[in-house]
Amino acid sequence: MEKAQGIHTLIRGAFAIFRRDFKKFLSNPFVIIMTLFMPIMYLIIFGNAMGGTITGIPLGVVQEDPYIQETPLYLAGLDLLRTYHQEDNPALFQVTVFPDEFSAQEALNNRQINAYVVFPSNLSPNREVRLYIDSSEYMVPTLIQAGVQSSLALLGAKNPLQVYDLYGTINYIQFFGVGVIVMAIFMTTMMGGGIALIRDREMGIIEGYLVTPVKRSSIILGTIASGTVRAFLAGFIILLVDMAIAGVIIRTFESFVLVVLVLLLICVGITSLVVALSSRFSSQQEYASSVAFLNLLFFMTSGAFYPIIGMPYWLTWLTVINPEYYAIDALRSIILRGQGLSIIAVDLVAIIIFTVIAIFLGITTYRRTIE
Amino acid sequence: MAEVNQKTADQDTCASAKDSPDIIRIQDLTKIFRNKQEVTAVDHVSFTVRRGEIFGLLGPNGAGKSTLIRILTTLMQPTSGTACVDQYIIGKDDGTIRSIIGVCPQNSTLDIELSAYDNLDFYGNLLNVDETLLQDRIWELLEMVDLTDRAAMPVKTFSGGMRRKLEIVRAFLHHPLLLFLDEPTIGLDPESRREVWQQISRLNTEKTTIILTTHYMDEAEKLCDRIAFMNRGKLIALDTPDNLKKVIPTGELLEIGFGHLDEGVITAIRDLAEVRSVEVQDQILKISVSSGSKVLPVVLANLERFSIPVLSISIRAPSLEDVFIYLTGTGFEAG
Repeated sequence: MEKAQGIHTLIRGAFAIFRRDFKKFLSNPFVIIMTLFMPIMYLIIFGNAMGGTITGIPLGVVQEDPYIQETPLYLAGLDLLRTYHQEDNPALFQVTVFPDEFSAQEALNNRQINAYVVFPSNLSPNREVRLYIDSSEYMVPTLIQAGVQSSLALLGAKNPLQVYDLYGTINYIQFFGVGVIVMAIFMTTMMGGGIALIRDREMGIIEGYLVTPVKRSSIILGTIASGTVRAFLAGFIILLVDMAIAGVIIRTFESFVLVVLVLLLICVGITSLVVALSSRFSSQQEYASSVAFLNLLFFMTSGAFYPIIGMPYWLTWLTVINPEYYAIDALRSIILRGQGLSIIAVDLVAIIIFTVIAIFLGITTYRRTIE
Repeated sequence: MAEVNQKTADQDTCASAKDSPDIIRIQDLTKIFRNKQEVTAVDHVSFTVRRGEIFGLLGPNGAGKSTLIRILTTLMQPTSGTACVDQYIIGKDDGTIRSIIGVCPQNSTLDIELSAYDNLDFYGNLLNVDETLLQDRIWELLEMVDLTDRAAMPVKTFSGGMRRKLEIVRAFLHHPLLLFLDEPTIGLDPESRREVWQQISRLNTEKTTIILTTHYMDEAEKLCDRIAFMNRGKLIALDTPDNLKKVIPTGELLEIGFGHLDEGVITAIRDLAEVRSVEVQDQILKISVSSGSKVLPVVLANLERFSIPVLSISIRAPSLEDVFIYLTGTGFEAG
């Protein structure tokens, strides 16, 4: 009897706690939806962003000077490269013909193509075939090399293949490491900064500012400035870790200045966006679940893990409006490829547009909550 | 449009208040919240607060005290009516008003990770205290609340009383003309409460007018020069504690604990000439009389007659709580 009584009490207590937890869970439908939505989005976005087949890699083809007429090897090679594909996939390469090596090289530097193949001229038809590859991408260089190699084998050509990695050997950790710098900025700001802001508001600390003569614009300016510096430090520390562990190097002072510029711009932008978002959400829980989702979306489609070229088309349009993509792309250009302002100009313009919009949103929404 | 006209008219009233003995003048102040249903949180309230006094604002939860304070501290605009702080008008000169008031909210807004000094330094900058004087001012205030030796320690290591005192002086950094204290001793032990009371009295001697909201009647009685009772958005009484007590026609309250009771004795006591009313509550006979000591022997004789054992006897003057119950017909807790 006593034992049965004991079990009854045990179950009663457990059931009471179960019911209480469940009632609380059901009381916030927004959080329920977001928590269920997350894994589903994980499946769709992560699955597609990482598992896509890479096809249609822009490849340049050129015949070595002096040019007399198109060699049989060049014509056959060009033909084969245009149609070369793996199993049932579409063509691996999207081939562009260049009139001379110089223009092909320029296109590679400007990132219009990922690699170019140089076939030997009529004068020395048995010389090696040269392949110049942008080695800063992940997966893509290996695919190009394998594709060109098997094409030559299919042709039965005896010419050896000489591969030139344009930016030296770049490991995945270096490719990924640069993406992590931007990820650190987004994560620390969205999770840490936003939640701290909401907590301050919930505890009445912001209201405490409002009964002092401090200017409303001072509050906004101070809040965004402190968030920006925090975000910048997070990014900068990861950059230092990248240098120490992943062997990432910044070659020139100009590169360093550009890196700092890109980091600062993106930090101001993301901090302002977080200020706007945290002003819109009333509870920490709602904010946290929405931001976790947004963070996932930004990060997965940023190209930090996996080349954008491998994503399905419908995902790439998310990339176009993803500020994280532009920041990572700009940093890879500067750090991995040692490129300058002219190459990252497009990225910079996109980041500036994002930052300006975010600052505007941040100021207007935050102002509304403190007035 | 009528509202606008009234406001411009009252602007002159505020300006003329510069040298008047009143630091706050409130006229017909009303605040209506329109959400799903209309709630009148403050309902045509008018009163004045005199320079240099400690003014108590009392009432149950939901009486409208907090809304009134929020309006006076520029956090909220009134729906209608006017409020002047010194010669400035609420809703128009908010920036100036913020520089002459100090606010100590009910829930602590100290940054507990920061040191006592840093908390004061931060607010010193928000309050625009002269930079050359700020450091000395901070040490002066830390000295005042006996926290000099803990200035560099994070506030999270402080006791509730220490935090409260720190928060009160934080609102006092810029020598405000007017200091708002919202439930300053809530959740504090008796010893800390006494210290906070001393602190409040000390600040009051520095020519600062203090507006205090509280639930504790003893606190209001001990500290306040004048007390305003609020209930359901309305001001129901405003006077000194002593005068408020005179509102109750009854002079004193006789409380007699008994073992068992006979209905007959209640009737007998009720029939006595000096007795105003008789109530039975939790084994205690509550008898309202004009003079307790005069009636006591007669009452005891009656109890004797019905052979009722008397367990305890007390005679007390009415408390502020009794006054409030008398005025509203409801207790504080009942709200």
